[in-house]
Amino acid sequence: MKLRFLNLALAAALALGAAGPAMAQKKGGDVVIAMTNAPPSLDPHATSAQAARNVNLHIFETLYARDENARPVPDLAEGVVVSPDGLTYVFTLRKGVKFHNGKEMGPADVVASLERYRKAGASASLIAAIDSVAATGPNQVTIKLKSVQSTFLGNLSSPRAPIAIMPAEEAAKEMGKASPIGTGPYKFVEYKPDSHVKVARFDDYKPNPAYKERDGFAGAKIAYLDTVTFRFMPEAGARDAALETGQVQINETADGPTAKRLAGNPNFQVIKALPFAVQVLKFNMAQGAGADLNFRRAVAQGIDAEEMLAVAYPDIYKMDQSWVYAGSAYHTNRKLLKQDVAGAKASLAKSGYKGEKLVFIIDNIRPNIDAATVFQQQMAQIGVAVELKVADWPTTSKLGLGSDTGWNFWTHGFGIEPYEGPVSAMSHWVKGQGQRKDDPVIDGLFEKINGEMNLDAQKKIFAQFEDRMADQAIAINLGDYGLFQIATSKLKNFKAYRIPRMWGVWLE
Amino acid sequence: MGRFVVRRLLASIPALFLVSLITFGLLWLVPGDPASAFLDTSATAEALERVRHELGLDRPFLVRMGEWYLRMFQGDLGTSLLLNRSVTSAIYERLPVTLSLTGMAFLVSVLIGVAAGVIAAVRHGKAADQGMMALALLGLSIPEFWLGLVLIWLVAVLLPIFPAGDYVAFSQSPYLWARHIALPTFTLACVQMGFVARMTRSSMLEVLGQDFVRTARAKGLPEPYVVLRHGLVNAMVPIVTVMGIMVGALLGGAVVTEQVFSIPGLGRLIIGAVLSRDFPVIQGGLLFLALIYLVVNLVVDLLYAVIDPRVRLG
Repeated sequence: MKLRFLNLALAAALALGAAGPAMAQKKGGDVVIAMTNAPPSLDPHATSAQAARNVNLHIFETLYARDENARPVPDLAEGVVVSPDGLTYVFTLRKGVKFHNGKEMGPADVVASLERYRKAGASASLIAAIDSVAATGPNQVTIKLKSVQSTFLGNLSSPRAPIAIMPAEEAAKEMGKASPIGTGPYKFVEYKPDSHVKVARFDDYKPNPAYKERDGFAGAKIAYLDTVTFRFMPEAGARDAALETGQVQINETADGPTAKRLAGNPNFQVIKALPFAVQVLKFNMAQGAGADLNFRRAVAQGIDAEEMLAVAYPDIYKMDQSWVYAGSAYHTNRKLLKQDVAGAKASLAKSGYKGEKLVFIIDNIRPNIDAATVFQQQMAQIGVAVELKVADWPTTSKLGLGSDTGWNFWTHGFGIEPYEGPVSAMSHWVKGQGQRKDDPVIDGLFEKINGEMNLDAQKKIFAQFEDRMADQAIAINLGDYGLFQIATSKLKNFKAYRIPRMWGVWLE
Repeated sequence: MGRFVVRRLLASIPALFLVSLITFGLLWLVPGDPASAFLDTSATAEALERVRHELGLDRPFLVRMGEWYLRMFQGDLGTSLLLNRSVTSAIYERLPVTLSLTGMAFLVSVLIGVAAGVIAAVRHGKAADQGMMALALLGLSIPEFWLGLVLIWLVAVLLPIFPAGDYVAFSQSPYLWARHIALPTFTLACVQMGFVARMTRSSMLEVLGQDFVRTARAKGLPEPYVVLRHGLVNAMVPIVTVMGIMVGALLGGAVVTEQVFSIPGLGRLIIGAVLSRDFPVIQGGLLFLALIYLVVNLVVDLLYAVIDPRVRLG
C-alpha cells in the first residue's frame, strides 16, 4: 500500500486553479484587523489559543496543512510516501523555501521542530505516536511511528497549536521563547503587548508551486498586502467604531446588531463564519445527578436546543447535531434533538434526582450565559433546579477541566475540534476527559478509529461514536454557531475561514 | 522637611509590604491559573500540567512567594508568564501612556473643576451657580465606560473629528498624540471635574464668608484679586486633599478608559493580567500603583506646608 499524496494534491490544485476567480489583484496597502484577545504567545508550539493561531499562521507553516475542507494536503512538504505497514512516513521537502531570517529550510530544521513539539508542544499528544524523526536525505525527513495512526497526517497538519517548522536554532530554545521566524507569507515586524502585532509581506516567499490559489491553510499563499496589523480591542463598541471610522479594515468578531446595521452599507461586507463552533452542554458524570443515565436522558429530552441557540446566537446558528462540521467526509445527518417534556419528566422520575439544586458553571461570555439561562428555564419546566455560577474563563475552566466536584453542567464552544475531524472531536471524551468519567465504549472506538486506515470503516466508527454520545447522553451537541465578521468592501477576495487569512486578498 | 520626607518614605515600606502580602493572599485564593490562557477547551489534564510546570505554577505557594520577595528586594519584579518579558519592562513600556492619560485628565479636572467651583461660589445662588453645579452633578453621575462609548459614537463615528481609539506617543507626533488622547482624557476627567468643582465651591463659600475677605474688600482691593489671592489660596487645603484622592481615582478610572479606547496602558496591562492570571504582572503592577499612590500622598502633605505656612511638618 503506497500512497502518493503528491499526485492527489496536484490534481486538486489544477482543479482549483481552473476555477479561480478572475479578479485584478493589486499589491500594496495595509490592513488592520481588530481582534478581541491578544495572543498569549507568538511561539506557535506553545499555545493553542485562537488569538495566537490568527497571527502565527501568517508567519509559520507546517509540513502538511488543512485545505478548504480540512483535509490534510502538502504545504512545506512536496509529498509523502507511506510504507505498506503504515509505520514509516518519508516526507520530501519543498526546495528553496526560505525562513524570514534568510536561511533556507532544510531537514535539520524539520527534525528539530518536530522533536521540540513532541517534547513540550501545546498539543504534543497529536504526534505522540512518533517513535523517531530523522533527516534521511538532503530534502528528506523520515518519521517512524510506534503504531499505526490513521490520522497521523491530519494530526501533523493541525492548526490548533500548529506543528510549525522553525529554524533549528529557534527550535533549540525553551518553550515560549522561540522568536517568530517562520517560512510564511508574512514576516514578523513588531509586537506591542496590549496593542498590536504587525507583520509585513515576506518578499522572498515562494508560494507552493503545486497550487494556483489559496486552499485552506495550504495552497498558494500569495500576499498582496504590504502589512497586516492585528490590533487587540476587547471592547466590542470600540471595534465597531474603529471599523466605521476606517481605523481598522476587519472586525474579526462583530455583534449581531452591528452586522445587521452594516449589512446594507456598501462600504462594508458582512461575512458569516458559520459554522465556527459547536455549542456543547457537558455533564459532570463523576458525581451527583450527572452520574445517573436516566437523569442525563431526562435533560437531553427536556431541552429545546434551538431555543437555546436562537437566544445565544441570534441569526448566526445552524441546527446540526453531528460532532464534525458539514462538508467533512465524516459528517452525519443526525436526527435533530426534539424537546419532549413529558418524556423528560418520565425519565427524571426513573432517576435518583431528588430536587437538589445543581450547579451550572459558565464563563462570562455573553452567549454562554444566555444559553445557560434558557437551559435553567427549560429545566425548571421538568422539575430540575439549576443554579448558574458565572466566573471568568480561568476560574471556570480550572473547575470544568480539572475537578470532579463543584459543578454539574458546563457549556462552551468547540471550535477547532469539529473542524479537525473525528479523532479531535472524539478525543475530548476519551478517558473521561470532558465528562470526568471513563466510557469504555468511547475509549474503544477511539482506539479503533486511530488504527483504521479505510475511510468507510472510519466513517462507521465515527457514526457509532455519535450514537453512543446521544444514547448515553454523555454530552449534548446543541448545534453550530458562527461569527459575524465585517470587512471594508475595499478588501477583495476575503473569505471567512478558521482565521482571517490575509493571503490571496488585496485592497482595491 | 528633609527628615519628614525620609520618615514618610520609611513609613511607606510597611504599607507596600502589606499591599504585596494582600495581593499575594488574594491571588492564592482566586481560582484558575494562566495555563488556561495558553490552551483551548480540549486541553488535556496532562497538557495543562505541562504548561503549569513550564510556568513554575506547580511549586508550593510559599516557595513562590519567598522567591518573589527575594527578587523584589533586588529590584526585580519577576517575569510575566504571558508577555515574555520582565514585569518591570512591561510596566515601563506602559507607564508613559498611563501617565500622559492620567496627567492630562488631572490637569483638565483641576483647571476646569476649580474654575467652575470658583465661578459657582462667586455667583452663589444665581443661575451660573446652579448651572455649574448641575453640570458637576451630571459629570459625577455618568459612568466612564458609558461616556466613552457615547463620545466615540458622537465625535468619532457620526462626526469624525477624533479617532475612535488607539494611542500615538507624544514623541512620535505631538499632534496625533493630542488627537488620540482628547476623548479618553475628557472621559476620564469628567467625574473628577464634578468632584473638584463641588469641593472648590463649598471651600470657597466658607472662605469668602470670613472676616479677612471682608477686610480685603473694605480695603478696596479689586474683586478678582480678593477672590483668587485671598479666597482661592486659602480654600486650597481641602482642594489639594481632593487632588491627592483624585490621583488614585484617575488611576482606577484609567483601567476602564484604556479598555474602552483600546489604549495600551498600565490599566489594560493589569486587567489583562487579572483575566489571564498573569500573577507576577498583577503583583508587580499593583505594587507599583500603590507606590504611586503613596508618593502622591506624600506630595500632598508637602503641599499643605507650602500653601499654609501654619502647617509644620515634622
